[in-house]
Amino acid sequence: MAAILNSIRWLGALNAGALAVGRWVGVACMALMVVFILVQVFWRYVLSDPLPWPEEAARFGMLWLMVVAPTALRRGGFVAIDMIQRILPRLLGGVLALILLVLSLVVLVVAVRIGWAEVTGFSGRFTSSSLYYPTSGGWEKMPRAWMMASLVTGLAMMVSVVVELILRQVVRLAGRGGALPPIPEAVDVAAGAE
Amino acid sequence: MLIWFLPVFLVVLMIGLPVFFALLFAPGVMLWLSGQERDLVLLYRNMYNGMDSFPLMAIPFFMLAGELMNRGGITLRLVEFSQACVGHFRAGLAQVNILSSMLFAGLSGSAVADTSALGSMLIPAMEREGYTRRFSAAVTAASSVIGPIIPPSGIMIIYAYVMEQSVAALFLAGVVPGVLVGLGLMIVTNVIARRRSDFPPLRRRATWGEKGQASLKAFFPLLTPVIILGGILGGAFTPTEASAVAVAYAAIVSLFVLREMTWRDLPEVLLRAALASSVVLLLVGAAMAFKTVVALSHAPETLADFILTLAENPLILLLLINLLLFIVGMFLDAGPAIIILGPILGPIFTSLGVDPVHFAMIMSVNLTVGLATPPMGLVLFVASSVSGERVETIARAILPFLAVEVLVIGLITYVPAISLAVPRFFGFL
Amino acid sequence: QDYTFRATANSNENDEDYDGLVVFKNYVESASNGAIEVELFIGTQLCANGAECLQGVADGSIDIFVTTSGGAAGIFPYVQIFDLPYLMSDDRIAEEVLTNTDLTAQMRERALADSGDTIRIMTIGNTGGWRNFANTERRVTQPSDLEGLKIRTVVADLPQELVRAVGASPTPIPWPELFTSLQTGVVEGTKNGITDIMGMKFPDAGLQYLTLDGHAYMAAIWVMNNEAFTSLPPELQRVVVDGFAALQQATFASPKRKSIDAYAAFVDGGGDLYVPTPDEKVAFQEAASPVYDWFAQNVDGGDEMLTNFRAAITEAEENVNARRERDMP
Ligand code: NA
Ligand code: NA
Repeated sequence: MAAILNSIRWLGALNAGALAVGRWVGVACMALMVVFILVQVFWRYVLSDPLPWPEEAARFGMLWLMVVAPTALRRGGFVAIDMIQRILPRLLGGVLALILLVLSLVVLVVAVRIGWAEVTGFSGRFTSSSLYYPTSGGWEKMPRAWMMASLVTGLAMMVSVVVELILRQVVRLAGRGGALPPIPEAVDVAAGAE
Repeated sequence: MLIWFLPVFLVVLMIGLPVFFALLFAPGVMLWLSGQERDLVLLYRNMYNGMDSFPLMAIPFFMLAGELMNRGGITLRLVEFSQACVGHFRAGLAQVNILSSMLFAGLSGSAVADTSALGSMLIPAMEREGYTRRFSAAVTAASSVIGPIIPPSGIMIIYAYVMEQSVAALFLAGVVPGVLVGLGLMIVTNVIARRRSDFPPLRRRATWGEKGQASLKAFFPLLTPVIILGGILGGAFTPTEASAVAVAYAAIVSLFVLREMTWRDLPEVLLRAALASSVVLLLVGAAMAFKTVVALSHAPETLADFILTLAENPLILLLLINLLLFIVGMFLDAGPAIIILGPILGPIFTSLGVDPVHFAMIMSVNLTVGLATPPMGLVLFVASSVSGERVETIARAILPFLAVEVLVIGLITYVPAISLAVPRFFGFL
Repeated sequence: QDYTFRATANSNENDEDYDGLVVFKNYVESASNGAIEVELFIGTQLCANGAECLQGVADGSIDIFVTTSGGAAGIFPYVQIFDLPYLMSDDRIAEEVLTNTDLTAQMRERALADSGDTIRIMTIGNTGGWRNFANTERRVTQPSDLEGLKIRTVVADLPQELVRAVGASPTPIPWPELFTSLQTGVVEGTKNGITDIMGMKFPDAGLQYLTLDGHAYMAAIWVMNNEAFTSLPPELQRVVVDGFAALQQATFASPKRKSIDAYAAFVDGGGDLYVPTPDEKVAFQEAASPVYDWFAQNVDGGDEMLTNFRAAITEAEENVNARRERDMP
């Protein structure tokens, strides 16, 4: 048990760090997206000189918002129907929660494996149509892999989060929930385009 | 065999797997069991590409605009303005709650944002004045579904994206239905207030001076929808770009005009929007992946044949569809429901002569109302967490309001002009 | 059946791609005596754009797919030769190039090499005729009339270079937002085929001036997962190859038939249809000429494929002329 608690502390610290970095990336992406689109509108509508790149650049930013999602997951911001879990007796409910976490982990691990193959394989070799990056030999078209890496990064961070949540659930089931370090900032991030 | 992913999906959803994982798990497991492992990559790829879309960007932007307005004190101005207008009505604060939701709807695309922004302000205020907590929370939840009906709207953006419709046309089509829902809720509130004796006494009417003051303060916030729709209709920007312009406008009003927000608040506002957006984007992506397996399993054809055997008459079919949508709305978020059902149901009805924009309204309004129905009512969850009242209690208190919303769905379904008149007037049909 | 092929096209059932697929499915299923089954997925059910669908073809989750040159540009940039303006003079030359020269085989070889032997170009047909300039403002008879107009293009550099070369402003607008953008004036023009223009009801959004400059052939590149094809026994490979030949003929014919009604509907709706004189066409060609150099210099494999393309066009013109002479008294 002590070993588990120890690994939770380590993994928790690792996750907290990675997630904090992810949140700042997300903040920057959000701000840049707005700037890019305003640039696009200004150049086209005011200067009548449309630019080719802001659309794709803004999409690049939106895709990298993915690295914020693990924070939402860790804080319980993924919407689920928890009715049955609440109806069940405590122990059964706890076991069900553990099973659900394991199912989530399976989904994530499979997705990360496919995602990594996508980024490094044929798919990643497609080039962007309007974004370039500088090299010693001049400007090169950006590979799509740089955009595709966003999702797999977010999913990989979620794997780490779910492993931590599984360990925490095991500790709780063993009746040692009180010894768990808390997850800070339970900001309510209920999902909703709705 | 593959078709079994549907029941599997329902089961894992009901036992509490988060929607995002359920949307991927059920099709994934069934592909694996039917030996179609190569198709798992299709699932992943459609998830990624489902998120990689320019029109979808309006969703994070409208969320950000909503966060900015809330932090910048714009929400408060809207509430004060509503108070000056309808505060003296029977059940005054409840009416204020509804009118504020309608105004807020013109700035925000999300019912959840509406519930948490207005709820955290108005539910305590209503309680202080003597309304029960369950009634206050129910009014808040019921009226916040107006948020995605009156433009801008995250749901309409998703619908337009999946069904290749004009976002502008859908936005315009939502105006009248949204106002109708609002008026309906106000009437029900009035009826309830007449029959109940435990409601607080009437408040005094605001003086003309107070009205003028409130209008002045609400002027800049209320200009937002004018800028959004005016800019779109005037050719300055596309609907997606309009959402970024709305962000810029909200930032300017909050930082420089109302000055209730400082630059230091900006990172947190951006983060809140990024958090909510990332979750929605994942859901959209997962729903797009799910949709792929819907196609692979030939579910649409089967379902379309089945639906057409139920009835030939489009009027009866529309009734059945409304029932189906209402039930689906109880279990699924509006976004994923639209992504999955839109491509199946849309073509059936347009081939029967229903205008695609009209059908978009039927579907979006119905699924939006579903946000306020248990067990999977997002708005109910948020109202519960904002007010501290139990979801089940709010769900019971909300019934009369739901009844009027169902009535409005009926009106929208059978009177196409309610949806089509405004977009037609502006030449979008 | 022994083989099931998944075929997808990102269009709808009114599109010439669908006509081609129906012909293909019918031919292959009957000529193989039921050994091959073709499952059609029309629209964006399996994959939503060129890049995504080509990935599917590469890994075998999709067997058959049709892409435009723009859709494949991200991985096979040289297929954009079809977007180069004013190289092929008309349908007869284009069809000769695509059926009786080595161009398709050269592209196939190159694409196989670039995709690690996964994506095989089976045939190249047409989807929607030719691209023309259309706008909401005025009749365009010479390049200078396009000056200052914001013309919608896809986010790809070649079409943007072309629009810039003729003096207009290339404006990337996503296809679903195009109708509204034309209507409100965010952009003033497009470069599309007539069937797409009418299918999307663009005239209702004010797109009323159409100049038949025919600047680019709307090539439809049909690809297949290479292993799915090569693992077939030879007699079935032959059936598939013949099926694609039938498909190609169908996609040549279909836009011609469909465009008659489309043009009629355009004019009936008050549209202004302008056919440039040979002199005016030369003016357009001259204005567009910088694009060729740009293509040869900037596009990976562009120089080589452009040389191939020009040779194929010359050969086709000779063939057609010879046959024409034989057919005339
Ligand atoms: Na709204
Ligand atoms: Na619901």
